[in-house]
Amino acid sequence: MRKSKALSALTFLALGLALLGLSNFVDELRVYQGAQIGVYIIAISSIILLTGYSGQISLGHGALMAIGGYSAVLSFTYWHLPVLLAFTVGALSSALAGFILGMAAARLSGPYLAGTTLALAVGLPSLANQFHILGGEQGLSFDIGEAPKWIADKTVGEFTQYKWFFWITVLCTLVTMWFIKNLLQSRYGRTWKAVRGNPSAAALSGINVGRSKVLAFTVSSALAGLAGALLAMLLGLVAPMAFTLTLSFTIVTGAVLAGVTNLAGSIVGALVLVVIPELTDAVATHLGGSQKITANLPGLITSVLLILTVIFAPNGPQLHKRMRASKKESSNTIK
Amino acid sequence: MLILDTLLIGLSSGAIYALMALALVLVWRSTRVVNFAQAGQAILSTYIGYEVMNRTHSYWISIPFAIIAGGAIAAFIDAVIMRALAKRSHKGSVAEIAPVIATLGMLGLIRSLTGAIWGNEYLQYTSPVSGKGYLIGGHTIPFSPQNTVIVVGALLVMGVFAVIFKFTNLGLALRAASFQPEISRLAGIRVDRIRTIGWAFAGSAGAVAGALVTPTSYLSPNSLDLLLVSGFVAAVIGGLDSLIGAVLGGLILGVGFAFILQYIGTSVTFSAAFIILIVVLFVRPRGILGSKVGRRDA
Repeated sequence: MRKSKALSALTFLALGLALLGLSNFVDELRVYQGAQIGVYIIAISSIILLTGYSGQISLGHGALMAIGGYSAVLSFTYWHLPVLLAFTVGALSSALAGFILGMAAARLSGPYLAGTTLALAVGLPSLANQFHILGGEQGLSFDIGEAPKWIADKTVGEFTQYKWFFWITVLCTLVTMWFIKNLLQSRYGRTWKAVRGNPSAAALSGINVGRSKVLAFTVSSALAGLAGALLAMLLGLVAPMAFTLTLSFTIVTGAVLAGVTNLAGSIVGALVLVVIPELTDAVATHLGGSQKITANLPGLITSVLLILTVIFAPNGPQLHKRMRASKKESSNTIK
Repeated sequence: MLILDTLLIGLSSGAIYALMALALVLVWRSTRVVNFAQAGQAILSTYIGYEVMNRTHSYWISIPFAIIAGGAIAAFIDAVIMRALAKRSHKGSVAEIAPVIATLGMLGLIRSLTGAIWGNEYLQYTSPVSGKGYLIGGHTIPFSPQNTVIVVGALLVMGVFAVIFKFTNLGLALRAASFQPEISRLAGIRVDRIRTIGWAFAGSAGAVAGALVTPTSYLSPNSLDLLLVSGFVAAVIGGLDSLIGAVLGGLILGVGFAFILQYIGTSVTFSAAFIILIVVLFVRPRGILGSKVGRRDA
């Protein structure tokens, strides 16, 4: 057990170094998209943890990302915190909001929870117009500045702003994935799975069902908050327009495409979310489509994918295959 | 006077919320699915109404077309998507949320589709009736002829529904199929087909809401998102499975919103829906007219 843990830590480390190294050899746009993928991975993992493991649904994670983004920017601007600390503040304040929401959520089931979080996603971003400190419709700008010299000097070529974004995102993503992976294998992860599988049985085994659900919601919100803060960094600002209902839907879509019970799938989901607009853009310009079509094709394709996935492979593409394989095995043994 | 004005405005928006809530409740009763795609279905039918109006130059002719389109879209979604979903994903870790996800997917699909066809810019779907308030004794009240059309239209729809559900065989079958599907099937009701008809009714109600409310603002692929949330809140206030409750919930919410708007400010309307919803769910989770089954067992 110890050994495999050390091994997986090493894998994460190697992966991180490889990614950072890679950032020297690809162009600016790809580096930026790499950072986007990182943000999506964290956001999708937060949904996977919540829906796939704890069995709760949230259509309002865009709002929780907004809370994370705004708190990070505010603490960075007014308290002059270092960037990573500002991100922590973002994650923590989002966790607090998630804790409160989770208390309500633990008492709600399926459609009620979906509707409540939907109302939050629609309502919360518009609060920015109400408080002067939140900057209204234009939002607040967020400039984390250039990379410190001791990092910039040690790398090959010019150390651009996007590369710095990418480095920070990679660091955050790896730490987050490492954290979730271990959390899901811990007592808490097992508790969540037990509650999702059969709440009554879980309660009879001495699990506090409500508390377990609230905890899942809180952790998931913290992750969403971190993703929101990173997103704000990438965009260079926080504004209501950045945290729309579409964002909430997008990350749920990513999670479903990833297979909601499969943490590693979040990478696939994030890739799909970033690659599809890129692909459709290429196709649309090639075919000479109008701006209307170019702007809406990505949404169209992801929606179709979402519907097909939920009908034909509700547990996600990968798990589905695995389940079929195990079913085959068991039928063989019966013979 | 101000209170009366606010009340009138509240009734008008409440009528729209009530229609949306009716659409959600109709689907919820028969399939235990909150149809988040309803906003999309309504917007697509409104766009179809818009096209008809551009061709015929008549708002009144365009409304029936929007209604028929709304019914057809809903029937299509139920027959093609929801039935396939019910057959396949009744097991597995996401079975509980699969319908929610599917309707979300439909919402996204319809939005992108309308965006690809008509563009994301704001279009005007205008009514020949004035949107300016009536002038009573030198005082312009905020209630306009278009608001009258909204209230009368909504009342008409509710009346038609009431007659269908109370006095026709179809209505009886609809009610039976939603409460005891197994027994209805034994009694010779084609439950699947009746369900699709229920969806069609819901789609039509949503289409009326879209066609009536759009002249008071603008038409864009997501201009009805807030209406979806209000409709959901109204449905929850009413108990989520009561048609009369949906109407009452809509009116209560509409009037409540109008007073909040008048006395607190416009900026809180978005968050107000959320706060009202939370309060209702904590204080009286089964709504004013909901059946005893609480939200936990839903």
